[in-house]
Amino acid sequence: MFIDIACSQKKKYNQNAYGDYFASNRFPNMNRIVAVLSDGLGSGIKANILACMTSTMLLKFMENHSDIEKSCEIIMNSLPVCKVRGISYSTFSAIDCFDDGNAKIVEEGNPDFIWIRGGEVLKPEYQSIQSKDFKNRKMKVYNIKLEKYDRVIFCSDGATQVAMGSKRYPLGLERSGLIKIILEKLEQEPEISSKNLSEYLVKQIELIAPNRELKDDTSILSIYCRDPRESLIFTGPPFHGEKDNYYAKTFMEFKGKKAISGGTTANIISRELNIPVIAKLSMNSGKLPGLSEMEGVDLVTEGILTLTKTLEYLENGNAEENAAKTLMDFLLDSDVINFLVGAQMNKAHYDPNLPIEIEIRKNIIKQMAKVLEEKYLKKVNVQFV
Amino acid sequence: MAKVEVKVCLGTTCFVMGGSNLQELNEIIPQKYGDKVELNAANCLGLCSINWEYSKAPYVKVNEAVVSEATVEKVLEEIDKQLGN
Repeated sequence: MFIDIACSQKKKYNQNAYGDYFASNRFPNMNRIVAVLSDGLGSGIKANILACMTSTMLLKFMENHSDIEKSCEIIMNSLPVCKVRGISYSTFSAIDCFDDGNAKIVEEGNPDFIWIRGGEVLKPEYQSIQSKDFKNRKMKVYNIKLEKYDRVIFCSDGATQVAMGSKRYPLGLERSGLIKIILEKLEQEPEISSKNLSEYLVKQIELIAPNRELKDDTSILSIYCRDPRESLIFTGPPFHGEKDNYYAKTFMEFKGKKAISGGTTANIISRELNIPVIAKLSMNSGKLPGLSEMEGVDLVTEGILTLTKTLEYLENGNAEENAAKTLMDFLLDSDVINFLVGAQMNKAHYDPNLPIEIEIRKNIIKQMAKVLEEKYLKKVNVQFV
Repeated sequence: MAKVEVKVCLGTTCFVMGGSNLQELNEIIPQKYGDKVELNAANCLGLCSINWEYSKAPYVKVNEAVVSEATVEKVLEEIDKQLGN
C-alpha cells in the first residue's frame, strides 16, 4: 500500500508569511512516513516561527520514536512566549504511518481529523492526555489501522472557521461543512490524488470566505492509501551482452509504466524482442534529441544528455518543453521508481574531442535517485546490470 | 526508381558532435527532392563505438553509404551521387 500525502496552504489575507507549517519525511527503507501540520498562534511571522518550530521539533521526536507526551512538554517549554497574550502556543496534528496501514495520530488543538472509508466518516477511539505543566492543553492520541482507499484529512482551524459570523455560516464552515465538500468531491472523483484534493479544498474554502479574503491561515493535509504507481526506466546497455535478451524480457514483462532512456538501449530491446523502434525526425526540441516510439513502451528518449537535463530540472524546477521535461513528468507521476542501469560504457562518450563533457551514467542515476527520494519523497530502487 | 533512404543518427555522440545541426535536412530534403528521398532518424547507428579512437561523428547513412563527419552539404552531395544527378 502506498501513502499518498500532500498539503496545500493559503495565507491569511494581507499577510506575507504562512502561519501554518507542514513538515514531513518519508523513510523508504522502513516503509514509513511521518508528517506534522502545525498552526502557530496569531498570524504572520510570529505564527510562522511558532508553527515552524513546533513542526520541525515534533517531526524529529516522532522520527526517533520519542515518548510523545514528553516531546510535547519539551516543545511547549521551548517555544517563544507571545508578548501580547503571554503564552507560548501552537496547535498541531501529527501522523506516523506505516505502509501496512498502522498509524499513530496525535492532535493538540487542531480540528479533529477526518477519516473516510467508502464514503463514510469513521469515528475512531482515542486516548486523552493532559499536559502536566500546561493547563487547558490536552492531546488526543489515536492508534488506527488504515485500509486501502482510505482517506485522512487534517486541517487547521482556518478551514473550519472560515466565513464565521456570515449569514450562511454563523459558526463558520465547521467540520461538518468541510466533510460535505470532501464527500461530494470524492463522489465525483473517487481516485483524486492527495495533491489535487488538498488544492481543491483550499480553493473551495477561499471561495466561501467573504470577499475571498481568508481571516486565518488555512491548510489542508490530505492522505490517500492506494496502490503505488510503479515505473521502470531502463538505461544503458547491460555489462554482459549475452544477458541482453533476459533483461529485455524482464523490462517488457514489467507491469507498470515503462521508459527507455538511451538510443543503444532502445536498439537492444528492439533487436532482442523484434519490436521496431521509430526515431522521430521532428527532432528539434531545443538542445536535446527528440523522443522515439516503441510499441509497449510509454516513453523512449536519448540517454545521457536527456538524463543530465532531467536531473537539472528535478533539482531546480524551471523546465523547458522538451524530452527531459517529458521524462521528468514521467518520473514525478510515479510513486515507486525502478532504474535498471546497464553498466557498459560507451567509449565514444569519452572521446576528448567531444565539445561537452559527458557524465557517467551511474553517477547521474545515483544523483537522480537521491533527489527523487529526498525532494519528491519517491521510493527509488536502482539496479545495476 | 528506388527511393534513396537517408538515416540521421541521433545518438548521443552524433548529436553533440554536430548532429543537432542536421535538423535542417528536415526542411531541405522534401523541398529539393520531393518524394525521391526518404528521411529517417536512427537512435544510434552504432558507428561511433566501432572505431571510437578515430570517431568521425556525426554519422548519416545514405542507403548503405556512410557519411562521416556529416554536414548538410556532405549529405546532399551523397544523395545527388546516389540519384545519379
